[in-house]
Amino acid sequence: MAASLSSAGNVRLLSTLARSGSLLSSSGSRSLHVTAVCCKNRAARIRVGKGDNPVTYEHAHAPHHIAHRKGWLSQHTSNLKGEDGAAERTVEDVFIRRFMFGTFHGCLANEIVIKRRGNLLIVCALMLQKLPPTKFYFLIGYSETLLSHFYKCPVKLEIQTLMDKAVYKYL
Amino acid sequence: MASHTSKAFLSLGRINVHGLGLQKPLSRFTYATALTISSANTSKGLPDRGGRGSFLRKPKRDAGEPRTEKMPVDQDWTAVYPAATPFRPGSVPLPVRMGYPMKGSIPPEKKGNLELIKIPNFLHLTPAAIKKHCEALKPFCTEWPSALDTDVKCDEHFPIKLQSTDYVFAGPSVRNPSARIVTLRVKVSSLNLDEHARKKMLKLVGKRYCKDTDTLTITTERCPLRQQNMDYVMYLLTVLYHESWKTEAWEAEKTVADMEEYSWEDSPSQRNILGTLVHMKVAGEGEGEEVREQLLGRKEVQEYKDSVTRLKNEGESESHMLQYKEAVKKLLNL
Repeated sequence: MAASLSSAGNVRLLSTLARSGSLLSSSGSRSLHVTAVCCKNRAARIRVGKGDNPVTYEHAHAPHHIAHRKGWLSQHTSNLKGEDGAAERTVEDVFIRRFMFGTFHGCLANEIVIKRRGNLLIVCALMLQKLPPTKFYFLIGYSETLLSHFYKCPVKLEIQTLMDKAVYKYL
Repeated sequence: MASHTSKAFLSLGRINVHGLGLQKPLSRFTYATALTISSANTSKGLPDRGGRGSFLRKPKRDAGEPRTEKMPVDQDWTAVYPAATPFRPGSVPLPVRMGYPMKGSIPPEKKGNLELIKIPNFLHLTPAAIKKHCEALKPFCTEWPSALDTDVKCDEHFPIKLQSTDYVFAGPSVRNPSARIVTLRVKVSSLNLDEHARKKMLKLVGKRYCKDTDTLTITTERCPLRQQNMDYVMYLLTVLYHESWKTEAWEAEKTVADMEEYSWEDSPSQRNILGTLVHMKVAGEGEGEEVREQLLGRKEVQEYKDSVTRLKNEGESESHMLQYKEAVKKLLNL
């Protein structure tokens, strides 16, 4: 709900800022329409609202707080100097995040943390206690087996469950 | 049973609370008390199947207290964290807090804290754990030979040093192409070479020889495997050694420009100084070879020869220039 509100507001904001410089000519020739640039940074930020939207620590901080107040969600050696494989690791990370989001649908309390220790891929996730434990165990085993077969390396899932999301503040 | 169902509806109350904003727990309580009366009449057989669509009635078992409450003070920590694992708030009995605090507040607690999971922790590397590791590894280790206690002795018995690097990194494959590079280091003085062989070898290797440390360094990365590179580099050393001992026919054409060191005999300097001395008639009357031979035997001429050789071979410096000056002064009786 909060997300849809912000997008509608964005459209309205853009339309008020838009100044279309179009040249109208009777002969029906085409012209270029330009709008002013909306110099606003919108990446990974939850806009301040009424104060009823609970937000985790991860979502409360914008990307420029990474390395100052936030750590990294994914850790591997490929981004160091002289090491290769950065692109492959990134694609793997993206796939793993989507996979986890889909497999444990609605249960994720926070972002997935991916760690790589040599050959081993460790996926740490915080979950809500929405499913009975037996279902959790099945899904964990299923994910581990499927991902290890897919990536040809051992994959371990470290799941912690909470009663509800750890709220940092209300926006 | 009553408490069981009331907990089920506590969850219901909580879900609604998010939509309505910050509600007082009072409303939750009223919800619970209002509905326990009616649910007390329902059967206690299958609580999760109660009614179609009432999936809210999940059998929520208590989570139970975390392990930290039951940990004795003198427990074996290596059993709790035997290997490198992410942070588990229920297993670490420390009241850690991490994160940027809200205004007028403290950092968030460890329960549900993603920041603590993101960072690498060393809870599995306490001194006791490391001691255990060492004890376990000791049977596989052998003592360093007591006879090799200085570097000099090591160099004497093992003059050839082979170096290669193993790489550890994160990725599905353990292969790293840079791991095949092999470097060989050997002191040329430890090889059995005579003068000609030594000069020829130094000419053959060129830049791979370091004069200051008298070390020959050969690096190979030609072959795809490390073992192949090792064999190749040993082969190269063998070939160099044997080739430098051989004398080819064309080596007789060595000119002065090819010489590595400056030698005073038959050099322009010798001719010049002898000519000057003869001109000055230092040795008395007489021309010809005997005069030159006699001059060469003189002490000042020898000194002059030493100083010039030193200057040319070792470069210019204060002491060398001074020596040259003294030698020239003595020769020319200045």
